[in-house]
Amino acid sequence: MARARATFFVRTRGLGSMSRLSRATFVQLLIGKSICEALVVTAVAAGLFLATTNPALHGWLDHADAQTISGWAVDDNNPDRRVQVQLYIDDKFIEQRIANEARPDVHQANRAGDDWHGFVFRAPLLAAGEHEARVYVIHSGATATRRTLQIIGNPITFRSAPLP
Amino acid sequence: MTSDSNAQSVETLDGNRFAFTDRSLAGWEIASVMSSILIAEWMAATAAGFAKAIIAIPVALAILIVILSHRLRRESLRDIGFRFDNLLKALSILAVPVLATALLCLLVGWKLGTPVNFLRWHPNRHVVLQFAVGFCWALAQQYVLQGFVNRRAMIWTGRGWGSVLVVAAIFALLHLPNVWITAITFVGGFIWAAIYQRVPNLFALAITHSLMTWFIVSTLPPTALHHLRVGLGYFF
Repeated sequence: MARARATFFVRTRGLGSMSRLSRATFVQLLIGKSICEALVVTAVAAGLFLATTNPALHGWLDHADAQTISGWAVDDNNPDRRVQVQLYIDDKFIEQRIANEARPDVHQANRAGDDWHGFVFRAPLLAAGEHEARVYVIHSGATATRRTLQIIGNPITFRSAPLP
Repeated sequence: MTSDSNAQSVETLDGNRFAFTDRSLAGWEIASVMSSILIAEWMAATAAGFAKAIIAIPVALAILIVILSHRLRRESLRDIGFRFDNLLKALSILAVPVLATALLCLLVGWKLGTPVNFLRWHPNRHVVLQFAVGFCWALAQQYVLQGFVNRRAMIWTGRGWGSVLVVAAIFALLHLPNVWITAITFVGGFIWAAIYQRVPNLFALAITHSLMTWFIVSTLPPTALHHLRVGLGYFF
């Protein structure tokens, strides 16, 4: 092995060592570079969070059964806007609609600027048994490159009776 | 080559002293430049659309460190491998692995039923232009991999199979999570690193790198190669 190494790997020129002064400066540079990169990674992580999340989107999934799934959703930054919501049952996309149904109770509770922020989905035909409904608000970023889903409220589990 | 007695002593907050030897500094240089490349590679897809230009920061920092390191270690372009006097010798040594790779690719492609198409690399680009772009990109990769990483690995672990393995492992790591490309680059990185330590010539390595890439893309299944995508971009 040592002989093979000696015959194959010839001496490579110019593998110079650094002077003590150069080494000290270079170590400081490497530390500075690491700090810069940590800041860049943090900025990208924060930017990605802000681009894909809107903390002002609020809502609640009030009710889910084998007939209807209903609730409300509001964008606190723009309370007059009707937000889009998507229904998923058992992690499968079912339907998308605009939350513009009458919900005077949400308005009266000062959670929305007017009465029209509710949504009602008609449940599809489901197999008998237990199902889970989730509703998400669609968040579009500043650019059109990303659209993300934010869950509203908690998922609701309901039972579906066997078909007649 | 290296001397531990020439260590730079640094006092820590608790009053202890530890030393930066040339060897440890070379290892740190490799880690630092590789971290920059990994950040750029894995952030590129994350930052797409809102701040893609931000990846220029780690890339620029890595270039700065590489250039400063060359200067402080007094390495000339010729030392690094930008030279022509040993080009033919390097090419003659590289000819065997290149031919073996070509035959292996043809065999694997034939076994997997992939039709050979030598215009598959970038079909919309003229083949001459594609070769020029491929050569420049290969030269840049080989410069960082051999002209910097291999030379620092030689300081860190010594000349020989150990440093060759370090270079191959790093080259493969940079191509994750693309499993096929990771395996291929480990083998390629091993061969190039070993030959660079014998005949340091970056032009010969870049020529064979672009030739091997062309052959691999032309013969192996495109679905397996996943359009040569690596990093987070592999998933998009």
